[in-house]
Amino acid sequence: MSWLIHRIDDRLIHGQVVIAWGERMRPKRIVIADDAAAADSWERGLLASAAPGVAVEVLSVEAAALGYDAESAREGGAFLLVRDLVSALRLVELGARIDRFTLGGLHYAPGKDRINEYVYLGAEDRRAARELIGRGVRLELQDVPATTPTALADLDASVRSA
Amino acid sequence: MSRVPALLVMHADLAAALLRAAERVYGPIEGVEVLSNEGLSRDALEKQIVHTVGGWSEGGLVLTDFWGGSCHICGASAARGRGELVIVTGINLPLLLDYLHNRDSLTVDALAERLQKKGQDSIRIQRGSA
Repeated sequence: MSWLIHRIDDRLIHGQVVIAWGERMRPKRIVIADDAAAADSWERGLLASAAPGVAVEVLSVEAAALGYDAESAREGGAFLLVRDLVSALRLVELGARIDRFTLGGLHYAPGKDRINEYVYLGAEDRRAARELIGRGVRLELQDVPATTPTALADLDASVRSA
Repeated sequence: MSRVPALLVMHADLAAALLRAAERVYGPIEGVEVLSNEGLSRDALEKQIVHTVGGWSEGGLVLTDFWGGSCHICGASAARGRGELVIVTGINLPLLLDYLHNRDSLTVDALAERLQKKGQDSIRIQRGSA
């Protein structure tokens, strides 16, 4: 059981995660791999309160990578959330054996290009995406379960590995 | 007692639509701001909320659609270190109307407590008759 989705979303926990994915897949745990949130007890408390009935674990990216295999063997399903592609790449570089990430929400900021209505990428994001794809990790855009996933490489040729 | 200001933060067009619906029942409404989370990152939404509530020296209410959504989370972040702000989640039309009827006579905290209680009472069942 364990890992149900690996999601990249700058909002981390929010409605689509808790309601759309959560009600459908009923995870027992949500693991958030995020250095800033993990270092901030107030933020950890906020995120933990946001998904009633689900255990929320807020870990540094390194701790999440170290615990990845152990979580795979646990009973009940888990969601993994990271805020950006760079964190996703770090997880993989640190040894988490993840073969697919879902890009659920990377919103507009200056210097980022539109990929679709909920994914915008800048140069650093694309570098991380290329590296992930080069390592065999599939990157797909999908905000909620009712929509069809689309491969990032089909929408943005610049992330295809050389 | 001064009026308790409010900001509605909700998904899609809900905040603006809810305010419009309230105006049909209540009449013209002043002093309620609306915001959508559409297309906004957590940081961007939090900044927009901070921008509105920044001028509320005596606090106020951030009214959101549901617990755990980005509107709630960003409202909570915007209220960090500002105990005079209160977030109320699960806002519906009866609650917005109740806020309007009581915003001039209650403190921020008393009004938030009232809305929570009112919300729990506002969902009722009317069964079809046999």
